Amino acid sequence: MTEMTQDPGSGMGTGMGTDTGGGMGEGPKVSLTRGDVQRAFWLWTFFSHANYNYERLQGTAFAQAMAPIIRKLYKTPEDIKAALKRHLVFFNTEPNVGGIIHGAVIAMEEQRANGADIDDDAINSVKSGLMGPLAGIGDSISQGTITPILLTLGIGIAAGDATISGDGNPLGAVIYFVLEVAIMVALAYFFWMQGYDRGRVGVIEMLRSGTLDRFLTGAGVLGNMVMGALTFQFVHVYLTWHFGISAGGGNVTDFDLNRDLLNAMVPGLLPLGLVLLCWWLIARRRMSPLWLLAILVVVAMVGAYPIFTDQPFGCESILNAFFQPAYGADGALGCVPAPAT
Amino acid sequence: MTRMQDPGPAAKVAALVSLGVLGALVFAGPVLAQDGTPNVTAGLLEASLVGLGYYLSNSPWLIGIGGFFGLYRPLVAGLLVGIIFGDPVKGAEIGAAINLLYIGFISAGGSIPADPSVAGWVGTALALAGGLDAAAGIALGVAVGLLGTIIFFTRMSVDAVFAHWADARAEQGDISGVARMNWLPPQIFLFIISFFPATVAVYAGAPVVQDWITWLNTNAPWVLKGFEIAGGLLPAIGIALNMRFIFRGTVIPYFFIGYYVSVLSGGGVNIVAIAIIGLALAALHVTFLGARDMGPKGAEA
Repeated sequence: MTEMTQDPGSGMGTGMGTDTGGGMGEGPKVSLTRGDVQRAFWLWTFFSHANYNYERLQGTAFAQAMAPIIRKLYKTPEDIKAALKRHLVFFNTEPNVGGIIHGAVIAMEEQRANGADIDDDAINSVKSGLMGPLAGIGDSISQGTITPILLTLGIGIAAGDATISGDGNPLGAVIYFVLEVAIMVALAYFFWMQGYDRGRVGVIEMLRSGTLDRFLTGAGVLGNMVMGALTFQFVHVYLTWHFGISAGGGNVTDFDLNRDLLNAMVPGLLPLGLVLLCWWLIARRRMSPLWLLAILVVVAMVGAYPIFTDQPFGCESILNAFFQPAYGADGALGCVPAPAT
Repeated sequence: MTRMQDPGPAAKVAALVSLGVLGALVFAGPVLAQDGTPNVTAGLLEASLVGLGYYLSNSPWLIGIGGFFGLYRPLVAGLLVGIIFGDPVKGAEIGAAINLLYIGFISAGGSIPADPSVAGWVGTALALAGGLDAAAGIALGVAVGLLGTIIFFTRMSVDAVFAHWADARAEQGDISGVARMNWLPPQIFLFIISFFPATVAVYAGAPVVQDWITWLNTNAPWVLKGFEIAGGLLPAIGIALNMRFIFRGTVIPYFFIGYYVSVLSGGGVNIVAIAIIGLALAALHVTFLGARDMGPKGAEA
């Protein structure tokens, strides 16, 4: 990062009295109002991905967000042209937490317009230096923890019992939408204003302080809890491999491999095992989720294919009722040969 | 959003396969048509409302955040599609089921493994039209979701043109012009490539899906059973994708606590109760153990 002599964090937003200029001193001092900074915030929050593209990613959106700032700070055509070009370059970060960069950059632009010694390199290095780390931190916070946790709540309420139709509560979707939007807008506004108030140095201090680490750890505890609950509620491995065991006198006792052996030893083993297997393949073996998806669909289809055509419906697929949903209200007696009548 | 990556062979193969399958469905559908009573009919009005919803989910108009973090999610899309078709409960159920697969969805550096939004909007509409239940709707949503990546990659490629239009206005010192180039032309283009395909997919696709479900019900019921079984297995992928972010360090045990608290509570899992227990444990963990081994590592894996 380029060496900078100026700390843009100090004395922002305060008024006309202090003369930080000391060189250029052309004309009266320009300072941004809270409203200018907020206008830029809303432009960014609305339009950060309006022109998302492979060449610049959020580059043009950064320029649009800076429009009210540039209009206020720079008056000569040369300055305006330079500022627009400065903010049209490649830029990409997480849009909510990453707004802290914009806040800091606005503070730097304000100082520069008042004659401080901040050149293009200084501003570019703050943008390109912070956008990567904040993309990582921001994605962990917004897409990695807050969104999945709130989605889990919403899905759990909206879906009801996954095997029963019509018992869900559509309010789950409303609750998710309201909480998610409120939290994200508040978060984005907080980070944007922190960036402007603290400036470049303050932002780096804040990122190093460990507050975000504590937040992510706590969110990790909550996230793991609800993911565990979600696994139980929605992952179903129907390994109902039944044996009919003769109990003498023409009676047949049903033996269910899953119910009578696996679940008797370790309850809930199969759904847990499947999720951990998927996690291991994706996170550790770097398997593409799409291949995994294809494999699971093939397994489901093969498991459902009727091989044993002489069996009753639901019992004719591979290995008796291998991978079949349980039949009957009590979930028992899948494919025990029907008693002779 | 740091990673830039090629969609990779798996994504290309998957997109081609779903394109092929859905294409074959469109052409073979009428041949297989039998007279069954459709559960839901998709008129031009319903179809275009779904198309509009799909466009809005990708657009900036709902504070930006209400799009990508709101309407883009199948849970929200499912409810709205349900309202459009007059069955909000079933729509939200199907949307919630489809959303399970995308619970760990991360858009990073302009690369997405699939398009949750099209899966939610078009997938729910087609599942409602075909009379599928939530579990079977997941498989349909996934197939549609893979196709959505084509729209996304088209948009990401073409939008670069508008960045150059913005450059030209910057050269003239035209502040408003630069700002306008970020939203006006890209949004017109996005509307064209998202609204029309989604509307056509629902309008033309609904009868086809209905015909197919009817045909399968009589001739190959095992395929629908396979859909249902897949609906029980596929959420594992969505959960695993999210676990890349949170299943590490000192907080791993809480996954097992969450799972076995649910096992012990039997069928009646209350997700809100689990979340409250989770919040209490989170407070204890952070207070007594601090933030060890759980630093922000970003969008890895």
